[in-house]
Amino acid sequence: MTDDDRLDETFAALSNATRRAILARLAEGAANVNELAEPFDLTLPAISKHIKVLERAGLVVRSQRAQFRPCALDPTPLEEVSTWAEQYRPVWEARFDRMDDYLKQLRPRRKTGRTR
Amino acid sequence: MTDDNTAKDAVVIERNFDAPVDLIWKMWTEPEHFKAWYGPDGATIPVAKMDVRVGGARLVRVDVETPGGPMQMWFIGEYRDVVENQRLAYTESMSDESGNVLSAAEVGMPDGHPTTTEVIVELEDLGGRTKMVMTHAGIPADSPGAAGWTMALNKLATRVAAHSAR
Repeated sequence: MTDDDRLDETFAALSNATRRAILARLAEGAANVNELAEPFDLTLPAISKHIKVLERAGLVVRSQRAQFRPCALDPTPLEEVSTWAEQYRPVWEARFDRMDDYLKQLRPRRKTGRTR
Repeated sequence: MTDDNTAKDAVVIERNFDAPVDLIWKMWTEPEHFKAWYGPDGATIPVAKMDVRVGGARLVRVDVETPGGPMQMWFIGEYRDVVENQRLAYTESMSDESGNVLSAAEVGMPDGHPTTTEVIVELEDLGGRTKMVMTHAGIPADSPGAAGWTMALNKLATRVAAHSAR
């Protein structure tokens, strides 16, 4: 999977209130599907489906051995989200460089009449 | 505002400008000034409609030259917070010219790319100079707002740090 694909999966997984609530619950500790389903007005299969999406995105890992296969949170994909945000940094830095230049152009016209 | 908490899911940039705070405010809120610095190099901003009050709309058109010819992009958004010379927050989504939001896929971005982002500008008067902190955060479409998104992730990050041994 490419970085972009992974990021897609992470954002897709996070763009759902139920799944974010499940993650918030798992941030407090591992839980099995029954425990995770409890606060929601949803069927177990529906909850399982949400968990599968989170698993696919790598946000949740499930123990293969334990009888009730508890789910646990894996924060790694959340760290990659910051990479998405970081790609906007150079765009904004360039904009603010231009704002700075523009402000300098405006200066002679300002009432205070400061010279360059 | 500038440390780790918000850095996880947002771009945070702090800058000092040698200009009074009311002028920096105008850079963001008056179309004539906004158009002068906002677009990428070689781009023009033919349209910048700004109804600068909470709940007011903004619509910006950015024209860029690409190897494949000229390209036109529209951005629709809503002001979330307006405190003159202090704090400005607005949402931003790619849209058509009527302001109908386009999904990430429709504009050729990866599916998971957040459809809506939020820009928050905080200004501080340093007596003729201005300190500006700009935060640009991604928020998912079904979120009530960036606050929910940012808080959810920050809460997660904090808790995860506390429980990090796995």
